[in-house]
Amino acid sequence: MEQLLSRPEIQSAVVPFLIALVVYLGLQKLTATAWLWALLAAFLGSAALINGLTLTPLTGTRKIILLIIASFFTATLLPWVMPNRNLQRRFTTIASQIALLWVFWAVLTRMDSAAMVLFLVGTISLVLVLEWSFVRVAEQPAQLHGAGVSLLLGVGLSTTVAASALLGQLALALAAASGGAFLGWVLIGNARGQTASQPVTVIPYVLAPALLGVAAVIFARLPWYALVPLALIPFAVSLVPQKTESRFLHALLSSLPGLVIAIAVALFVWQSSDSASGY
Amino acid sequence: MKKLIIITALACLPLKAVLAADYSIDPGHTYVSFAINHLGFSTMRGKFDRQSGSMQFDPAAKKASVMIEIDATSIDTGHDKRDAHLQSPDFLNAVENPTITFKSTAVTWNGDKLASVTGDLTILGVSKPVTLTVVAMKCATHPFNKKDTCGFDATGSIKRSDYGVNYGLPAIGEVLDLQIEVEASK
Repeated sequence: MEQLLSRPEIQSAVVPFLIALVVYLGLQKLTATAWLWALLAAFLGSAALINGLTLTPLTGTRKIILLIIASFFTATLLPWVMPNRNLQRRFTTIASQIALLWVFWAVLTRMDSAAMVLFLVGTISLVLVLEWSFVRVAEQPAQLHGAGVSLLLGVGLSTTVAASALLGQLALALAAASGGAFLGWVLIGNARGQTASQPVTVIPYVLAPALLGVAAVIFARLPWYALVPLALIPFAVSLVPQKTESRFLHALLSSLPGLVIAIAVALFVWQSSDSASGY
Repeated sequence: MKKLIIITALACLPLKAVLAADYSIDPGHTYVSFAINHLGFSTMRGKFDRQSGSMQFDPAAKKASVMIEIDATSIDTGHDKRDAHLQSPDFLNAVENPTITFKSTAVTWNGDKLASVTGDLTILGVSKPVTLTVVAMKCATHPFNKKDTCGFDATGSIKRSDYGVNYGLPAIGEVLDLQIEVEASK
């Protein structure tokens, strides 16, 4: 069993997918945010298998895991405390930027001024684009999850081929978890209505790809420009017309644009990093 | 005037004693290399190309210490892509932890020569005690630059999981065999 659970495909695909599906199916009658709890449970399980859940030493990767977990709690609980939607949007943007600074502070302090400015401009832009485009799809479950799955899949695949399996596995685990919750929604919908109607509920989908993508650029060798098309996935998905009653067709149509972009970016990164040579 | 000369000479004595014991590591003749089992097929070898540090050595007083700082980004296994992977968060996370350090805490002697050096090896922010066995040592005047020079070869081993480097276990070996050659002069 231990050998089975140590396999990357089990840790990053099978386990999170199954956990998310089961939790979603179990909770969808109880709460509109069943998908958030499903993703949280799945990510906790995967992160424990991939990297363990110890906090010391508090490396950048461990900070990322901690922040992603915190983002799920924030997304679920904050609407009760902060019902104003504009405030939620500002909170999402500011909190995401603070999170990025916290994770990469040690590296930032060693950068020269020009590099630091580029980092700040780049990460602020990334967070703003993700936040703006995910809020566009927040009230459409198929588009929200289609964008989430594709974006995380793109970050995961690109990061894995760009020299960090650890970061890639974390992103792929979240993608698989999103896929599991998405399948649950396709099968039975959500008995409690809208799966996400508050802007802050998209914070996990904004923060996780931003943290993992930027970490792959800074700590591994993902080219920064790979994040540009990936960041536009939610916007591309938002352009899909909402004219079908079938949840299955809706899910398929909402996933396609994002999946095409995600796979194209991963292939591009693979080719440009000479991954085919192996070692 | 005589008094001044005597006082100055006496004042310099302890300073001379300190300076005499301090050796600066010669990065051009210091090598930190390792070997690790690769998937059970063969032994993979690598080294670090940049290191610095200092050594104190006083065999008369049976006192010695070694401090080495290794640039984690200088890892070299002869394959660019593998070196990039080794510097990623999967292994050394060299961007976040650019320096590996070894700071000795105790030594044992074999006559006037070091027999072993025990110290704290710090990788990824985790410090663990490691004992290096000194297999050869010589201190003499360097024939070319005429400096007092000491050099030694040492071996040891560590478990990378002790430092949180768990990627690829157990397929990629857990034990790293270390081989260190140091030359230092003053």
